[in-house]
Amino acid sequence: MKPFRFRATVNGRPVDLPVDPRRRLLDVLREDLGLTGTKEGCGEGECGACTVLLDGRPVNACLVLAPEAAGCDITTIEGVAVEGRLHPIQEAFLEAGAVQCGYCTPGMILAAKALLDKDPRPTDQAIKTAVSGNLCRCTGYVKIVKAVRLAAARLAREEGAV
Amino acid sequence: MKKRGIGVGCMWYGIGNTGAPNPAGAFLDFLEDGTVLVLTGCADIGQGSSTALAQIAAGELGVNIEDILVVAGDTGVSPDAGATSASRQTYISGNAVLLAARQAKEVLLQEAAGVLGAAASELGLGGGYVWRGGERTPVTVKDILARCRQKGKLTLGSGWFNPLTTGLDEAGQGVPYATYSYATQVAEVEVDTETGKVSVLRLAAAHDVGRAVNPQAVEGQIEGGCLMGIGYALLEEVKVDRGRVGNPRYAEYILPMSLDAPEIHAIIVEDPEPTGPYGAKGVGEPALIPTAAAIANAVADALGVRFYDLPVTPEKILAALTAEGDHKSPDE
Ligand code: FES
Ligand code: FES
Repeated sequence: MKPFRFRATVNGRPVDLPVDPRRRLLDVLREDLGLTGTKEGCGEGECGACTVLLDGRPVNACLVLAPEAAGCDITTIEGVAVEGRLHPIQEAFLEAGAVQCGYCTPGMILAAKALLDKDPRPTDQAIKTAVSGNLCRCTGYVKIVKAVRLAAARLAREEGAV
Repeated sequence: MKKRGIGVGCMWYGIGNTGAPNPAGAFLDFLEDGTVLVLTGCADIGQGSSTALAQIAAGELGVNIEDILVVAGDTGVSPDAGATSASRQTYISGNAVLLAARQAKEVLLQEAAGVLGAAASELGLGGGYVWRGGERTPVTVKDILARCRQKGKLTLGSGWFNPLTTGLDEAGQGVPYATYSYATQVAEVEVDTETGKVSVLRLAAAHDVGRAVNPQAVEGQIEGGCLMGIGYALLEEVKVDRGRVGNPRYAEYILPMSLDAPEIHAIIVEDPEPTGPYGAKGVGEPALIPTAAAIANAVADALGVRFYDLPVTPEKILAALTAEGDHKSPDE
């Protein structure tokens, strides 16, 4: 099929490249843009490993066709750290021990970011609900919830300091 | 109606198979700038072995963990460490790394002994310094490394560990493991007698790990094991239909997810194992072994009916309650 011009903003940078419209956003990110931090687990919208933010909303990149993401503001895990400094959510995941094999982690962190961007003081139940589309086979979610709680507290403090 | 119950599950589990050869090796190079390179065949699949092995090397050589570089599971350069299975790597590769570190340390201590006019056996390493009889000397590890290099001495070590292979007799009996891990878990559940749904409210999981090299990672293993155990107890079932897996996707093969995760209290019990590195044993599999038993016992406690077939699904619970009800008068 004839390629179309995929124009979007990925991690704050404009992207413009020819893409076969049958391809998934996941493939464009991983293969064309080399952003392999986004993982493919199931490839059918069940595990959340491929979670990215599309205009701030978490989506499964394996279920989004490239044309659907055209014109959008896309954030992958590579865009979460700012100028080489880890995002407070990433710091919190490290500190709380919320990463074991790490396969679910990029998706978890983006799901958490989407939550904290709109609900800076979530309850544990809200955290669990926000990551309920992200399966983790290693942890018991205890430290993941703890990490998000910790990140929320830190972000609130940073906010207060500004 | 919602009924609550509490159940207990206990287990013991062999660590360090001795029925068949079970070795692991490690190489270590204490470089001049203070970096320690550790080569191990031990594949870290998320359990945190690379971190634990780095801690063991750092502990023995008295350096910071940041100075340890672990190259793990690269068959091109690393010695064999066997599989990451059987909850064996902390115990077996941990010992291999400890022995490799001791060998390199011995070279340093011999050199330091010459400098301090002491016997190597009185000396130790810690915080980047050479210690003598429990007191810090002004001599740094880097001084000693530099002196070694001036003489053309390398500070290398290699180690391997194999729990004594005893083999088993024709009946498959003997001494199958070098050591054992022990655990007890307690589950509190709530069963909805109308829908048959079981909610695990709380789990307490006490595990004797010998010595927790990295307590946070051990907790992570225990919590993860508990959640997997909930899946085993209540949800996960491979349906095989004429040789094919009938439910090969997460929408059909249900894993516990974040909303199913109960409060989990991981309790680390440390009864050091004399043959383990710093007393450590293993926790990987033990973490999930008693969970299903604890949950099934809690369900039995709540309902007064026992289940002998996992997973204990709502269908099985409703069928059992109906059968139970058939034996009772309606107003009982
Ligand atoms: S890979 Fe997209 S949801 Fe699993
Ligand atoms: S850390 Fe391994 S799947 Fe979540």
